[in-house]
Amino acid sequence: MNPVQLLPVAVLLPLGLAALLLAIAHWLPPRLADGASVLASLGLVALCGWLAVQALHGPVVHWFGGWTPRVSGRPDVVLGIGFSADPMSAVVAAFCALLFALSFIFAWGYFDKIHAHFHVLMLLFMAAMIGFCLTRDLFNLFVWFELMSISAFALTAYPLGRSSLEGALNFTVTNALASFLMLAGVGLLYARTGTLDFLTMAKVIARIAPDPVITGGFVLVATALLTKAAIVPFHMWLADAHAVAPTPVSVIFSGIMVGLGLFGVLKLTAQVFAADAQVLAMVHGGLFALGIATALTGGLMAWAQRHLKRLLAFSTISHLGVMLTAVAAVSATGATGLLLYLIGHGLVKGALFMIAGILLARRNSVDELALHGQGRTLWPVGVVMAVAGLLLGGLPAGSMYAASDLIHESAHSVALMFVLIFAASLTGAAVLRAACRIFIGCSGAPGVEVTAPTERGREQADRPLWLMLLPCVLMIAIAVLPVDAVAPFMGRAAALLLQPDGNAATAIASDHVTLGSFFALALTLALLAASLMRERPTRRFARRVGRVERLPFDALQFLHSGLVTDYVAWMAIGVALLAAFLG
Amino acid sequence: MNTTARIVLLVIALVVLAPAAGMLILAMPAFGHPLSQYGDVVNALAPRLRNISNMVAAVNFDIRGIDTLGEECMLLAAVTGTVMLLRGHRGEDMSERAGRVPGRKQPSRSDATVLLCRFIATVLFLFGIYMVLHGTVTPGGGFQGGVIVASSFVLLYLGESYRAWRRIVLGPALAALEGTGALAYVLAAALPLLGGYAALQNVLPLGTWKDLFSGGLMVAVNYAVGCAVIGSFGVLLLEFMEETRAPENDPVPDEEDE
Repeated sequence: MNPVQLLPVAVLLPLGLAALLLAIAHWLPPRLADGASVLASLGLVALCGWLAVQALHGPVVHWFGGWTPRVSGRPDVVLGIGFSADPMSAVVAAFCALLFALSFIFAWGYFDKIHAHFHVLMLLFMAAMIGFCLTRDLFNLFVWFELMSISAFALTAYPLGRSSLEGALNFTVTNALASFLMLAGVGLLYARTGTLDFLTMAKVIARIAPDPVITGGFVLVATALLTKAAIVPFHMWLADAHAVAPTPVSVIFSGIMVGLGLFGVLKLTAQVFAADAQVLAMVHGGLFALGIATALTGGLMAWAQRHLKRLLAFSTISHLGVMLTAVAAVSATGATGLLLYLIGHGLVKGALFMIAGILLARRNSVDELALHGQGRTLWPVGVVMAVAGLLLGGLPAGSMYAASDLIHESAHSVALMFVLIFAASLTGAAVLRAACRIFIGCSGAPGVEVTAPTERGREQADRPLWLMLLPCVLMIAIAVLPVDAVAPFMGRAAALLLQPDGNAATAIASDHVTLGSFFALALTLALLAASLMRERPTRRFARRVGRVERLPFDALQFLHSGLVTDYVAWMAIGVALLAAFLG
Repeated sequence: MNTTARIVLLVIALVVLAPAAGMLILAMPAFGHPLSQYGDVVNALAPRLRNISNMVAAVNFDIRGIDTLGEECMLLAAVTGTVMLLRGHRGEDMSERAGRVPGRKQPSRSDATVLLCRFIATVLFLFGIYMVLHGTVTPGGGFQGGVIVASSFVLLYLGESYRAWRRIVLGPALAALEGTGALAYVLAAALPLLGGYAALQNVLPLGTWKDLFSGGLMVAVNYAVGCAVIGSFGVLLLEFMEETRAPENDPVPDEEDE
C-alpha cells in the first residue's frame, strides 16, 4: 500500500475500534479492550511515524471520496475534504498515539467496572487528535476539535464526585464557549473566502488581505485554540479540570491535548494567514506577550500549590506560555523548538501525572504536606519524580533542553528570556520540593503553598506498582535521550510546516552542554534550597517580609477563584485583548 | 470576585470589542450575496455524478462525508460519556432487571392512555423508519429519522409500565445497534481503500435519479447513521430512566464523603 492510501487509516482505525468495542462492550472480557487499545495505539505510532518520513519529499494528501479540487472544474472551489500529512503534523500525531499507548498501559484494569466505555471514549479522543493534526479543511478541523472536547468532558467528570463535577463543569463551559467562538470564526472566514481548504483559503487571503472579516475570523479561531491551550487569560479551567480528572486522562490532557491548541495556532498562522500582515503582527507581538504572561503566571501559581495535581497543572500552563513564545516567532527556529518542547514536556509531564496517580492509588492523597515522608518505601517512584523535576527545571539533557535553547533564541530580549527561564525554574523547583517532602521527608517551614486549596482523593489501588511505574520510566527515558539523531529530521519537519515547498531555512536543535546551560538548573536548585531551608518567621522583620512575599500569590490565588462565571468574564477580557493588539 | 466586578470586567471587554465588531460587520459580504460558488457547483455536479436528488444528503454523506463521521462520533462520545457518568461506580451490575423503589405507588394506566400510546408509538416508529429510508431523496435522513424512532420508545414507556418497557427495550441490544451503526460507517469509509479507491469513495451502483435507492454508498451510510442514532438515543433514555430508580441504594460516589 502507498502512503496516500494509508493516511485515512490513522483516523479510521481508532474510530472503528471504538465503535466495535461499544457494540460488544456488554459481552467483552475486560482485558481484551485494554490489549486491543494498546495495540491499536502502538500501530498508530508506527503508521504516523512512517507517514512523517514519507512526507519529507512533499505532503501526503488524501481526498475523501475522491473529491479532489479538480472535480469542481472551477478555480478556488474545493468540494471535498482533504487530509494532508506534512512531517511535523504526522510526528505530532504519532506522539499523541504514543502517549495514549502509555496511558492505556497505566490504566490497565483501572476502569473494569464501566466495561469498555473508558476505552471507547479514549479511542474517540485519540482519533479526534490525530484528525486535528492531519486535516487540511477548516470545518473538519472544528469537527475534530469538538469531538476532542466532548470526549474530554466526560472523561474529566468520571467518577462524578462533587469536586470532579465542579472541575468538569468549568472545563465544559469554557471549552464549549471556545467551540462556539471557533464555529463563528470558521463561519466568518468561509463567508469571506468562500472556501474551507487551507491552501485555497491562503490564496484568497493573499489576494484580499488586510480585511477586517479575515482578521476577526482569525481572532475567534485563535481564541478557541488558545482556550484549549490554557493561555492567560483563557487558562483558568485547566487547573480545575486536571486536578480532578482520572490520572490516565490527565496524562493526555497535560501531555498533548493542550499543546495541540498551540500547534493548531502555528499551523493555521503559517499555512493560512501567512500573507496577512495584520495577523502576523498580532501573532508576533500580542501572542508573544500573552506567552510571557502565561509562563510567569503559571510558574508562580505552581510554586504556590500543595496539591500535586494542581501544582502540575499550573506547571503545564507555565510551559505552555514558553511554547507560545516559540509559536509567536512563526519561524523555523521557533517551530523546531515548539515540536521538541511539545514532545519533551509532554513526556515529562505525563510521567509526573502518573506519579501523582501512583500516590493517589498507594497513599490516598497528593498533598505534599500531608504526605510528608510517607513515600520513603516507594523510593523508585521518588527517583523518577526527581529526574522529571530536574528536567522541568532545566537539566541540560534531552529534548526539552534542546528545545528551550531554540525557544530562548526567538525571545525578543535577554530580560524576557530570563523571565522564561525563571518561570520554568519555578515549576521545576516546585516539583522537586514536593518530591523531597514526600519521598525524603526533608522540609523547611511551608511557605506560600500552605494556604492553597487541597483535598483528599483516591484511585483504584489493585494494580501492581511495576505496571504503573513502567510507563513513567519509559517516558523519562525517552525524554532524556540525546536529540542529535533526530534533530535534523525535526528541523526539516518544522521548516516544511512553514513552507511546504521546502524553501525555508532549517534550524538544527542541539543538546550540547556549555557552562551557561547550567544557569537554569542552578536557579532551580537555589529556589529548592530556599524553600527547604526556610524557617518559621519568628522575628517581626521576618514576618513582615513573609507578608510582602505572600501578596502577589494571594492576589493570583484570589483571581483563580474556581467560579466559572469569573472564567467567562476573563475570556471576554482575553478576546478584547486580542482585538486591542490589532490596534 | 463578586457579581459587580464580573460585570465591570465584561463591560470593559465589550467596550473594547464594540468598534472591532462594528468594523467587521460593515465589511461582511452583503445579505443575500454569498461569495461562495459551492452551492451552485454542488447543485450542478451532484445529480450528474451521483444520481442524487437531495443535495444536503450529497454534501453530508458523500462530498463532506468524513465531517459527518466525525459528528456521528461526537454523538457516540456524548452518549457513551453520559452512560459512563450516570452509571458511575455502579457499572452494569444492577441494570439487568427493572428496579422498583419500595413504597412508591405504581398507578395503572387508563385504557385510553394505553391505546393511544400503542397507536401513536407504532405510527411514530414507522414514520421514523420512513424518514431514515428516504434520507437520500427527501429532507430528513438518518439523524432525524433515528431520533423520531427513539422517541417512540418514550411513548412505549408512557403506555406500558416501566417493567414492561424494560422487557421490550434491551440495553445491550441498543448499545450493539449504536456501535454497529457507527462501525458500518467506518467500514463504508475504509473498505474502498482495499480496492485502491479513496476513503468513502462512492463505489456502489448509483441507482436511478429520484429513486429511493439512488446515491450508491450514501444509502448505506445513511442507514448506518440511522441505526447508530436509534441506538444512541435509546441508550440515553434507558440510562436516564435507570437514574430515577432507587437513588438511595446507589449513591453518587463522592470523595469528600468517603
